[in-house]
Amino acid sequence: MLSWYALTLTDYVVVGAAIFLAMFLIHRLLRWFGVGREAATGYALILPWLIGLVVWNVGPFVASLYLSFTDYTILKPPAWIGFDNYIEMFTDDRRFWRVLRFTIGYSVINVPLGLIGALITATLLNQDVKGLGIWRTLYYLPAVLPAAATALLWRWMLASNGLINQIFGPVYSLFGVDKPAWFTDPQMVLPAYILMGLWGVFGANTVILLAGLKNIPRDLYDAAKIDGAGRISMYFNVTIPMLSSTLFYVLIIGIIGSLQTFTQAFFIQHTARAGTFMSVYIYQEAFERNSMGYAAALGWVMLLIILLFTLLVFRSSEAWVYYEGERS
Amino acid sequence: MDAQDRIGQFRNRLMQSRLNRRAALQGATAVGLGVATMGGFRSGAAAQEKVQVRLGTWAASEEASELQAVIDKVNAEATDFEIVSEPQPADYYTKLQTTIAGGTAPDLFWLSQEYVAGYADLGAVLDITDMLADDDMPAADLSDYFEPILKTAQYEGQTYGLPWISQPVMLYYNVKMFEDAGIDPPDESWDWDKFKEVAEQLTDPDAGVYGTSFNSWPPIHMFIWQAGGETITPELDACPIDTPEAIQGAQFYADIIYKEQYAAPEAAIAEQGFGEMMKAGKIGMFYGGATDDLDVAYKKDPVNAEIRMALVPSGPKDRTTFAWTASTVINAATKQPEAAYKALVALTEGIHHWKIVAPRQSLATEEVISEVVPDKAEAAGVIVQALSDMRSFNIIPDQAEWDLTFSEEYQIPLYYDEATAEDLAPEVRPLLEDLLP
Repeated sequence: MLSWYALTLTDYVVVGAAIFLAMFLIHRLLRWFGVGREAATGYALILPWLIGLVVWNVGPFVASLYLSFTDYTILKPPAWIGFDNYIEMFTDDRRFWRVLRFTIGYSVINVPLGLIGALITATLLNQDVKGLGIWRTLYYLPAVLPAAATALLWRWMLASNGLINQIFGPVYSLFGVDKPAWFTDPQMVLPAYILMGLWGVFGANTVILLAGLKNIPRDLYDAAKIDGAGRISMYFNVTIPMLSSTLFYVLIIGIIGSLQTFTQAFFIQHTARAGTFMSVYIYQEAFERNSMGYAAALGWVMLLIILLFTLLVFRSSEAWVYYEGERS
Repeated sequence: MDAQDRIGQFRNRLMQSRLNRRAALQGATAVGLGVATMGGFRSGAAAQEKVQVRLGTWAASEEASELQAVIDKVNAEATDFEIVSEPQPADYYTKLQTTIAGGTAPDLFWLSQEYVAGYADLGAVLDITDMLADDDMPAADLSDYFEPILKTAQYEGQTYGLPWISQPVMLYYNVKMFEDAGIDPPDESWDWDKFKEVAEQLTDPDAGVYGTSFNSWPPIHMFIWQAGGETITPELDACPIDTPEAIQGAQFYADIIYKEQYAAPEAAIAEQGFGEMMKAGKIGMFYGGATDDLDVAYKKDPVNAEIRMALVPSGPKDRTTFAWTASTVINAATKQPEAAYKALVALTEGIHHWKIVAPRQSLATEEVISEVVPDKAEAAGVIVQALSDMRSFNIIPDQAEWDLTFSEEYQIPLYYDEATAEDLAPEVRPLLEDLLP
């Protein structure tokens, strides 16, 4: 009998050969239709990626849209129910509104705070500090660490007798307040996640903004100085406008990321009284309650919400984002 | 069985699974590559061996090893099938559902009690009523099973699986804490009032020590039953949580849970885990399953608190105790129902001599319990005594949604004193009854 390793290798060889054959056939087909050699080769070479895109992205995307109009429990074929899932969501699902409020509330606070904090940090790091590479690495570290591991670390730090409460113990005593129960007191759950979220986005955004700051031409500052501009004036009239396209990118990515928050809440499992994030709710509906159709509908509503926020930011960008290349 | 054997078996299982996948893959690419004979040759070779019956479980580490030993014994005695264990300890139900949808689910799989009715209703598990009727194997004799336990494997009068465990909830207590406080160990005279009184006596929040620990465990249903109430009727046609008895049971629970006068606060339980708190001597009394290792931990390592087991305190009506149970079922899409059925019965017999307490009256004896798990010999008498009071949930197909509604609309507001059971129950009852079949 062939060894286990040889059989594994056969898998890869068969798949590889099948893809190569498909590429060859596509190339011949395109050539037969009169497509130029270079173009046909190009299309043939991107075929593996295209197959992956269709099979693993476009396919599930279209399937989820169809499933959102069905009653699908995984264990039985989906049954078409029209807009019932969407009607139930908006008229009969009290959890949906609680979850939506929680998710948007988190994003509305977390995104601006993360952006401003990262901007301040990047500005400070841009002051010709020594060991910039080390600082940059340290700030980017949270973005590299596994989200599940950092979530568990935060759960430990925010425990009732955890590091945070120990450090701030004297402050609580000073103001005569009890130690917060970060994940069991519904009032404290959102602040806890915002605190955790800041740690992550702060680092990643700082590195991106720092790169943007480094790209601002020095001559603009020299010209501003000659015109008599002070540091604050230069910051708001040179730095911010020149950084606006980077800020725009960070804002868009931040909004999408915060609305899709999943890992932290999934691993920490805070008190149910506080509500949860939309992504977690979708997971619960799909895999804990077998409501795949309803979960798909929730997913599409979430996509529309993300699109709406993104569109608003895009529309507003004409008023505050400056592109050097578009200068007339 | 040593590690080498286990690795060998694991590799064989993996190889078999890969062969199945490979057959499909090669079939799909056969036209282009002209290698169809490869898949056919391998399938033919496999057919000459005993029929392989795949078993999906959530067993992890030690439990998986013990289960493998049971399976090895069953396989050695079987002439026409071989059970291949495929444990999935993480995200078990998620993986199970997706494999069922993808047509690659195991032939046999474990289901906890709350899932059987739902899977049966969806046609995902095989109705084995007729097969059982024609079978004279001991594990197929339904009259030997505890009726409330067997009921969890049945739906609309048909049987869909064989339960392999019945684990009644017992009252574990910390011996030293009781002795220090001059309190006699719990006995049959204990009722709710006595429990509450002792819980208060043992509680010292400043020292981080609490009389008991409630955290949606034990299930509130148990206290509703003990008061004479019900959450879902046996006929599955009503949720009478607003009867005076049901309200009394729920309110008793609400008056204890997270109340620092009697019980550990939510944050302490969430961060330390109630089982660990009990072992660490921070909890005086704990409702736990009969097979929990609380009373065994001290024997293995005296750093743990010395804990013993007693019957749960009696409620106003009786001493009903919740029993956790699970069944092995057959995948409705199995291509080998007969072999799967034979494997199910043989495996169930094997598990009944491994797990305590077997859900069969003939095996639920002090002798058997002591023999199967010698560490529980001391408690075997009281466990057997509890069996006559045990029962499980009445399960509906949409149990997951029912549980969520019950939790969010009733339990959570109740536990956090947002309303009383008397106020909440009439409002929540219609919501629950909307979910009944």
